[in-house]
Amino acid sequence: MIFHPAIIGLFLSSILIGFMVLYCAFYGIRIIRRWDILSGSELQLSLERRTYLISTFLSYIFGFQLLSLFLFIFTADQLHPFFVGAMCAAGSLYANSYGYPVLLLKILNFFMAGLWLILNHADNQASDYPLIRKKYIFLLVLAPFILAEAVLQAGYFIQLNPSIITSCCGTLFSAEGAGISSDIGALPGPVMKTIFFGSMTTTLATGVYYYLRGKGAWFFAGLSALNCIVCLFSILSFISLYIYELPTHHCPFCILQKEYGYIGYPLYLALFAGSILGVGVGALMPFRNIRSLSETIPATQKRMAQAAVVLLIVFAMIVAWKLIATDFILDVGH
Amino acid sequence: MIELVNVRKVFNAGQPNEFVAIDGVSLVIDAERTTVFRGPSGSGKTTLLSLIGCMARPTSGRIRLYDREITSLPERFLTGIRQKTFGFIFQQCNLIKGITALENVMLPAYPSGEKHASLKNRAMDLLDTFKILRKAQSKVEWLSGGEAQRVAIARALINNPSMIIADEPTANLDTKLSREFMEIMGRLKSERKTILFASHDPIVYESDLADLVVDLRDGRVEGSVP
Repeated sequence: MIFHPAIIGLFLSSILIGFMVLYCAFYGIRIIRRWDILSGSELQLSLERRTYLISTFLSYIFGFQLLSLFLFIFTADQLHPFFVGAMCAAGSLYANSYGYPVLLLKILNFFMAGLWLILNHADNQASDYPLIRKKYIFLLVLAPFILAEAVLQAGYFIQLNPSIITSCCGTLFSAEGAGISSDIGALPGPVMKTIFFGSMTTTLATGVYYYLRGKGAWFFAGLSALNCIVCLFSILSFISLYIYELPTHHCPFCILQKEYGYIGYPLYLALFAGSILGVGVGALMPFRNIRSLSETIPATQKRMAQAAVVLLIVFAMIVAWKLIATDFILDVGH
Repeated sequence: MIELVNVRKVFNAGQPNEFVAIDGVSLVIDAERTTVFRGPSGSGKTTLLSLIGCMARPTSGRIRLYDREITSLPERFLTGIRQKTFGFIFQQCNLIKGITALENVMLPAYPSGEKHASLKNRAMDLLDTFKILRKAQSKVEWLSGGEAQRVAIARALINNPSMIIADEPTANLDTKLSREFMEIMGRLKSERKTILFASHDPIVYESDLADLVVDLRDGRVEGSVP
């Protein structure tokens, strides 16, 4: 294990998050089983006080969970000089078999924690705890993933060894290489550009339409999820090439480095946050008819759609800026 | 209307010093009426007023306020109810030292976001109503007991609450001031305010103002006198 301040921070915070999620899940089970808002029993009143505490805990925990994705990637990037062959976070994550599973789990947990926070926010708008069981059932679904992330992340950090020779991103994300990342990198640029701008335009249009008319929430949510995948593929396929101004470098991590103005951070943050908010608009749809939420949820959805559209525009503008403000011309045949 | 259903309040539950302050109280208190909770020290009067006024939560049981169940409400909803529904008058007045009488009166209305000039005018009107306008700019530590009590009443009314909760309001007042206080409460009653007293002062519970006197002992209702 390498004793780097960021590793120690992530390691300790994941233990803390895991412990707190377990604690909250324990009370979540009690709430799911014993909650009865009509009862004035001592147990019910203690659960009412407890859920206030737990949801406050979880708001901070999941808030940090969102940040920890970026801290993890930043840490992996900072560690690359320790490993022979690594040029960025791609090589650090490849230093042992835990790296990429942790990253994928962190991205998944980023989305799930974000959705939990949206659900919790909606529940807190009403005085009668209308989503209480649903949000704790969701917590029980989420808890094993959070714990798995803590375990895998610990495994990743513990097994990091500076003597390891790893691969560089040029190999891992080469269009000529084998594997999913290479296959995505090899997707034809012009086709991906068309798909990217088509997907982004349609998603933004449905978002604006929902904001103005209050219709098409499901469509906007589905497109937000799909657009997120399209954007990630596009980063690998052609966006990265324009940022590096190299026709063969598809790495999604080097864009997080100083040489490229840390442009990857606003890019990923805008994409992930915008996508979560877009998906969240759909996630709240089933609860619009609950009487105590019938006024607050549409207003919340509207604000979320507005924020999602703004964030996706930020993402699209960064990409457009990189495509326009460069002398680099991508080979049509690439 | 306030309805209490089997309300119980236990302090330090499960500890060796566990204390049952309220023990299974069920009660209906009519709106726009004056109710006095009477009982010896330690009988649970203050605790009961705290529960009704949303300043504490019961250990078990429910309280309904105008058909809205309030014991299950998260704190952020209780804050609004406390602010809009209740005006509190305490035995010790609990005015904030170091600031003026006027600022004390205005303080509970600050979270409402009302414009300062309009709020100040309302506070001055209240101080004028209670004949203490000349002391508006005086620091509260310079006020006499009667003056402080009137400032406390003005403060309780600044948010125009529908209910006044007064906990032993005459305990620190002499007979003359106590009667003056009850006159003020009489005016508030005529303005259709619901008034709840906790008191063992005969000036309060023998007053014509009292529509219902509830006797408490050891946290239980022993009886009530209309």
